[in-house]
Amino acid sequence: MSADKTIDLALRSYPGWWRERYADEVSLVSHDLAAEGHSTPRIALNLLGGSIQARAIGRGMPKSYRLCSLRTRTSIAAATLPWLIVVPFVMATMGSVSFHAAAGPVGWTGFSAYPSHLQFNNINPGPVPPLTTAGHLALYSALAITVLFFVTFVVLISGWSGLSRGIRQSNSPHKRRLRLLAWTPVFALLVDVALVIAQGGVRPTTLTGHAGHFVLSGGNPTVLHVLNIVVPSVAISGWLASAVCVAAAARRADIAPADLRFGKSVAVTVAALFTLLGAAYATWGIGLLMQSRQAATGDYTTVGYAHTGLWIPVMSVLVIAVAVSVVSACAARGSWKTISSTLL
Amino acid sequence: MKSKRLGKTQDPTTLVLTSLSGGPKHGYAVIKDIEAMSGVSFGPGTLYGVLARLEDEGLVESLASDENRRPYRITGNGAAALRERLEANVKVATIGFKRLGALGA
Repeated sequence: MSADKTIDLALRSYPGWWRERYADEVSLVSHDLAAEGHSTPRIALNLLGGSIQARAIGRGMPKSYRLCSLRTRTSIAAATLPWLIVVPFVMATMGSVSFHAAAGPVGWTGFSAYPSHLQFNNINPGPVPPLTTAGHLALYSALAITVLFFVTFVVLISGWSGLSRGIRQSNSPHKRRLRLLAWTPVFALLVDVALVIAQGGVRPTTLTGHAGHFVLSGGNPTVLHVLNIVVPSVAISGWLASAVCVAAAARRADIAPADLRFGKSVAVTVAALFTLLGAAYATWGIGLLMQSRQAATGDYTTVGYAHTGLWIPVMSVLVIAVAVSVVSACAARGSWKTISSTLL
Repeated sequence: MKSKRLGKTQDPTTLVLTSLSGGPKHGYAVIKDIEAMSGVSFGPGTLYGVLARLEDEGLVESLASDENRRPYRITGNGAAALRERLEANVKVATIGFKRLGALGA
């Protein structure tokens, strides 16, 4: 890519109001520096850093309701989108829980209010050895992650209903298109349900047994095989499309100040819960890493999850996503404050 | 021997205000002036981040220009803020030199 294109691309990452005010002169300065021999990627990176700052802080932005409202809506979308994209994958990458002792696998019947009274039943003869302290930490962190996931999901659904209401009551000329965008999750869910029903319809229906051999027959194995691939693919792409479409609708919908304030509160709550989830995920991983040390000193039960190996890469993505969410929620809060204190 | 452990010797705001205190300049001229004055090389993203903030706070103002190279000028408030900052720096520097002298360093 040429130096001119790289610089122009980096300049496009600035918000509209900033480009209107500074883009021409910054472009000239950047091209002068590049012509003088300064490294173009370094200039572009410096511009990207500046654009993040301009978006996050919004210093120098003209104080008009249109711009502040757009900035609040963009920030709300940016605060919630990372959760919507990253967290379902975080949940999926944890996998199912299992327990092991020196004698073999240990059965588990559920949580107790007291960490020392976790309910185990031993599959093997003899008493169940105690769970390591780090194992307790990992287990209760996983419980916290699940609880935080569902609480945040409920907050997001209330935010989504607020957005739908805001769009319905707005005077936007693109109201119909925006409503379609906002309703994408419902359409995606309906498609998923239809596919799952279709999957059930082509499953084998008859179980015949002869001389200890059982054979499943009936249904349509070819269609079932295709659906087994299509259903998860459609579910994942539907989820991602829903997240992006709702964020796009939130950014474009010119909603009333009361709905904007509600959206800001949703963004701040999601960012706070997301931070807690990030901390719980970090504790979960550390607990899993540390339990082997204690288990080596005696007879202990250890906790295991299916995809523990993915902890470091997932944690890295999670840290970035939480940072984006928190910075955006702060930006939403800041621009709403400008609206409420000076523009309403 | 110079040490890099202490990090930047001046913050970008002071450098930009000091540069503009020598007269109105456009962005590229500010970058070159700061480079010559302190050896610090500013990127355009950093410079215009500082200029936007200073303009917002009323410490600098842009002048009308026919070209895209708009010159910036320090305002009265900007000059007062710079003076205050430099006096604080001089005070710290004076005490630092005195103490270094007492140490024989």
